[in-house]
Amino acid sequence: MNNIFKKSLQSSMVLAAVCGATLFSVSASTAATAKDLRVIVHSSFDLPKPLLAKFESEAGVKLKIVKGGDSGEMLNKLILTKKAPIADVVYGIDNAQAVKAKAADVLDAYDGAAAQGESKIEFAGMAVAVDYGFVTLNYDKATVTKRGTPLPKSLEELAQPAYKKWLVVENPATSGPGYAFLLATIAHMGEEKAFAWWKSMRGNGMKVAKGWTEAYYTDFSRNGGAYPIVVSYASSPAAEVFYSKEKLTDSPTASLYLPGAVFRQVEGAALIKGGKQRAEAEKFLEFMRSNDVQEAMQTTMWMFPMQSTTKRADVMKYAPEPAKFESMPAAVIAEKGASWISRWTKTVLK
Amino acid sequence: MKRSSRVALLLLPSAAVVLMLLLPMLRLVAEGWGESFYESFFTVWQDDFLKWRLLWSFTQAVLTCVLAFIFGLPVAWVLARFEFPGRQLILRLLMLPFVVPTLVAALGVLALWGPQGVFSQALGIDLQDTPWLLLYGNLFFNLCLVIRAGVDALGQVNAHCVAASRSLGATPWRAFWRVEWPVIAPWLTSSLCLVFLYCFSGFGLALVLGGQRYATVEVEIYTLVAYELKLAQASSLALWMLVLTGLVALAYAYVEKRLSVATRSQPIALRFPKTALHWLAVFGSLAVLFFFCAAPILAIVWRALLADSQAWAALLDVETLQALWNTLRFSAAALFIATVLGVAHALGTQGSVAWRAAAYLPLIASPVTVAFGLLLLYPDWTASLALLIAAYAVLAYPFVAKAMATGLGSLPDNLNQVARTLGASPARTFWRVTLPLLSPALRRGMAFAAATALGEFAVTLFLSRPEWTTLTTLIYQRLGKPGAVNLDTAMLLACLLMLLSALVFVVIDSPQKTSDSKTIG
Repeated sequence: MNNIFKKSLQSSMVLAAVCGATLFSVSASTAATAKDLRVIVHSSFDLPKPLLAKFESEAGVKLKIVKGGDSGEMLNKLILTKKAPIADVVYGIDNAQAVKAKAADVLDAYDGAAAQGESKIEFAGMAVAVDYGFVTLNYDKATVTKRGTPLPKSLEELAQPAYKKWLVVENPATSGPGYAFLLATIAHMGEEKAFAWWKSMRGNGMKVAKGWTEAYYTDFSRNGGAYPIVVSYASSPAAEVFYSKEKLTDSPTASLYLPGAVFRQVEGAALIKGGKQRAEAEKFLEFMRSNDVQEAMQTTMWMFPMQSTTKRADVMKYAPEPAKFESMPAAVIAEKGASWISRWTKTVLK
Repeated sequence: MKRSSRVALLLLPSAAVVLMLLLPMLRLVAEGWGESFYESFFTVWQDDFLKWRLLWSFTQAVLTCVLAFIFGLPVAWVLARFEFPGRQLILRLLMLPFVVPTLVAALGVLALWGPQGVFSQALGIDLQDTPWLLLYGNLFFNLCLVIRAGVDALGQVNAHCVAASRSLGATPWRAFWRVEWPVIAPWLTSSLCLVFLYCFSGFGLALVLGGQRYATVEVEIYTLVAYELKLAQASSLALWMLVLTGLVALAYAYVEKRLSVATRSQPIALRFPKTALHWLAVFGSLAVLFFFCAAPILAIVWRALLADSQAWAALLDVETLQALWNTLRFSAAALFIATVLGVAHALGTQGSVAWRAAAYLPLIASPVTVAFGLLLLYPDWTASLALLIAAYAVLAYPFVAKAMATGLGSLPDNLNQVARTLGASPARTFWRVTLPLLSPALRRGMAFAAATALGEFAVTLFLSRPEWTTLTTLIYQRLGKPGAVNLDTAMLLACLLMLLSALVFVVIDSPQKTSDSKTIG
């Protein structure tokens, strides 16, 4: 045969071996570092690097941040690995899951400065409340204007034929905001009425997407889809301005705060039972409530700061907070959540 | 090869599969044991919804296979027999769809066929949430598998045999069925089997393009594990899927072994299209490729080019450069390990049907159960790079193993025997005779393994660290936030990923074939 490809084959194998060697040397060097603080976070975690570096030098630790999927998935990973915890501290647990986390006994109580006030109310002292946000409806202003139909004034109106094929929601079985929205409808209407509403929405051409990204980027009319109303966050219109191409003076989308369509989520940070570096882990909890973090997170994670003294980012003026919102005792969610999801699947998909 | 050396070769891939797939799955089953595993194992199919999902998973996978065969074989034949400008480039870009992240591919498809898509508006139709769009998406991802296998297989056909049958009076059609078809059948079945498995256990695409009603069983498993922590039900479903797909893999391995014919390769020379019919065939094939494979990619590129300066600036971010470097080094490492595992597997399993089928295990094991099982099994290693790379490598190695096994199957024994008789050691025979002869098959396998590593299937299921962000994860991060700039940046990053992959394919798949066949022909 010919030498050309034998040679190139051999050289490509050598090349691959060299690449492999570089990689292993890299992983070996990181394994040797002492005193790591292992932090598990949900997939939306995003803080400026200099801030994290500052914490590292002040607390004298190396942060080892691990992304554990969305908050529901992350908590389940913590529950599964309870016997050999994969992190020392967690950020991104939401208040709806507090009871589940407590029942599974994966968290340790914390009683420092940051664990007072709101934290006591939302997490019963198990976690530090860091930030909050609202799952709600967003609408695409341009498409709604073009269609000429006035916006619905209630969820019941949204189920009328005039709004056929207007709404896209996320599947509560695979998405955090989808689940929160389902809880909001139940909190507002009660279980039976809520599922009747979901049934009528199915008949009214409501679309179900897998997760927020799919709903927002493939089905929402603002991004080329067919549905002018989407289940998203109260902060999304502000993010639309922040990430807009030309400098906008108004957001192309806005929140539609219908009764029963707003759910407040509080995100917290907590110590993991069996975790190491307890002192540093506690410092991390306080760090998440520090002014720097509370200011920065508004435009990186698009949540509202829990610390009331923190200055609001300028762009957040496009994200007014709703006057009324739904919430639900965590104990009720822990008890009924799973059965509601399967009932929802039966009502909407089967 | 001696039995003992075969066993030694098989140790490596078996260890990888056992440690990275089987033990994690069993660990998850063990965790769910007690809580009614036994019961749910047998009652799982009494649920009509699940039955419908299984039936649908099966139907769409079979339909995709049929369509991929109908469109793929003629295109492969044209690409393998005719020389025309741009042919080499097309061959090497064929695999691009494979690396496009699912969601980006969906955005590309919807830009054409979505409610505000170019084609839908021109034709006045809306295909979103119909099975048609899902099938189109399936073909976008999988047609390249069939075409590529077909082209490589047609290169194995012995020119003298075809010439002989023609001079004995066979029509070109008859010559195809009696001479060419027996040679290429095992390669095609092999690729169709892959297509089936991909579509059957498909996760992302079905959900975005087909709508929730067309979700496959894997989605159900994901919900049960990640959201409801119902491990008993989840693992019994996962085991059922493993059994069903395992049967398909086993059946295929049997068929492939029966079909594989040892031939001496004497490639048929490429010719330039001369008659109008030839040109029609060439343009028809190009049209098929354009319609199914190129159009969605061009839609992505087009959207990326509309990006404004902010998004372009993001390409030079430290973050992007870091992701680029990570993508490169992770893929290189995974490819290296996958190649070693794949070659060892193929050499060790010659002839054994069960072992051939075993090479499919990484493709049919439920990714969610494996990811969660790994967490339980190796809690200290969960956030380690070694585990992540190992997972990529195990997911990618079946391509090398399969391509090598198919190549070995059509390799005449006598060449090895001659080398051995002339005094070459087995190692030397392998290095100087077998490997060079198998080079095209190995390259093909490696190119697909590289595509798998670059495209990172199931990547979001594993624990990750921010400093390990790759291009694919960066794209998903961007698409996790609202705003036009994020969408633009995601599209640009997707183009960067495709460009990088195209370069990798060119390096792995260097153009030795034409020069060969031309000189021989």
